[in-house]
Amino acid sequence: MQSEAAGISIDDAVLVKKAGRGDPEAAERLILKYQNRIYNAILKICANTDDAAELTQETFVKIIENLDKFEGRSSFYTWAFRIAVNLTLNYCRRDGKLAIRSLDDDAEYNEQTKQVLKDLLADEKSPDPASVAQNKELCAIVIGAMMKLDEAHRAVIVLRDIEGMSYAQIAEVLDIELGTVRSRLSRARSNLREIMETFLR
Amino acid sequence: MNWTEDQNIEELLNGFLDGELTARQQTEVQRLITHDSRFAHRLQELRNCKMLVSSLPFVEAPAEMTDEIKASLEKTALLDFKPHHLDRRIGARHLFVRRLAAVAAMAGLVAVLASLIYTIVATEDVADKSVAIEAWQQPVEQILAPAVPADRLGLAMETFNGRLELKTASPTAVSASISRAIEDIGLGDKVSVKTEVNKTVYDLACSCESLNLLLSDLENIWKKFDSANLSLETGGFGGDVLIEAVTARQIADIANQNGIQKRSELAKNFAVLNKTSRSLPGSEILTAIFDKGPDSISIPKPVLTSGEKSIKRPPAQAADEKEVHLTITVAER
Repeated sequence: MQSEAAGISIDDAVLVKKAGRGDPEAAERLILKYQNRIYNAILKICANTDDAAELTQETFVKIIENLDKFEGRSSFYTWAFRIAVNLTLNYCRRDGKLAIRSLDDDAEYNEQTKQVLKDLLADEKSPDPASVAQNKELCAIVIGAMMKLDEAHRAVIVLRDIEGMSYAQIAEVLDIELGTVRSRLSRARSNLREIMETFLR
Repeated sequence: MNWTEDQNIEELLNGFLDGELTARQQTEVQRLITHDSRFAHRLQELRNCKMLVSSLPFVEAPAEMTDEIKASLEKTALLDFKPHHLDRRIGARHLFVRRLAAVAAMAGLVAVLASLIYTIVATEDVADKSVAIEAWQQPVEQILAPAVPADRLGLAMETFNGRLELKTASPTAVSASISRAIEDIGLGDKVSVKTEVNKTVYDLACSCESLNLLLSDLENIWKKFDSANLSLETGGFGGDVLIEAVTARQIADIANQNGIQKRSELAKNFAVLNKTSRSLPGSEILTAIFDKGPDSISIPKPVLTSGEKSIKRPPAQAADEKEVHLTITVAER
């Protein structure tokens, strides 16, 4: 059962309860269930596989250690992501080299890829997700553009457009008002598009 | 349209894309994009931007991630919690093992002691009471080989010579009981009675079986004796043996032995046993509780299961058997 929007899922509730009592099997099942999603989200925020792996590991250690503090008022899913995103944002703020790294990578993209991106942005039709995913350079440009966003905007885009969270869940994860989610997401997308357009010039 | 209005419309368009608008807001946005191509174009730009991001490939965690997380958790647990739990468990286990070892050592010691005592005192199997009763009433050789009399086997039946000194607070009653038992068994002509000041001496010369019957009767009044000491002549086997706090059963057992050597050995064993039993801690308590002597610990007394108090035999049947010579002295304490 997987209805996080309505609260903690029954599966999660059982696993969390058992893991909280020190059941290693339940803890392992929780890790296996969420590690890929959390790793992917962290990677999209920090853009480094080693950092993402380390942060994911740290996230799960904190999750398991603090299971006794989890009261079940929110879903385990949003609670786990809150820990993951907070750790990642703190790490990014502490380590300002992320933006510099993404800027240095700009020169590596060829003109053909930039043209593809230009066409996609100008197209009246939506791009085909499969073709975007297969174009590694295009993906690298999009990620590079995201890295130029500030961390708060990056996080809200990742949670909405990659993880597919509702505004309410994003508000819970980032501990902000729903209105703030609307405005922040709006500005984040606008900024991202501007960054990509600037990149194409 | 000012900046604030632009922001509101941007949020509405994003909300429309994400399906986060109310029905009324959705209708409003539909109206806007239908009537104003700028909003429709902006909506498409935002949609494409959203699609570019959401089309980024999903990257799974490294294969070793789970193991690394588990390793981190174990490390954290070792640092924070595990040692305390382990310490308590190990301590409790150590204590338990020590207690178990102490109990085992005690049990072993008791077993060794019991085995030692059993080796000394267990001269026959006393588990079956019926056998014990028969042993009480019959010579040992008859139990072992009831179909073949001992004399036919040619066994030497040296005479049992002993002196039994009984001290009691009520010598008159005890003497009367002994005299009655002698008469009941039909040993009147086999016993010479000598009455002196404060004591009565019975000089008994009879068969071993008659002695068994007499002792069986005397068993009933044995508890009236303050002391009962048997002095047994052993001939050439280490001089006379004095058995303190002797019981009727012990006397019968000694008398029933084949040969003076076996009698002497058993008498010595009983002498040691009685002495040891009296010196064991708790013997006074046992005596107080059960009103019995030391043999109550290891040698059960025979129990007569029939209604008859004693088994009468015609005197003539034992007339020629002179195997036992016992002098019984009853004196006032």
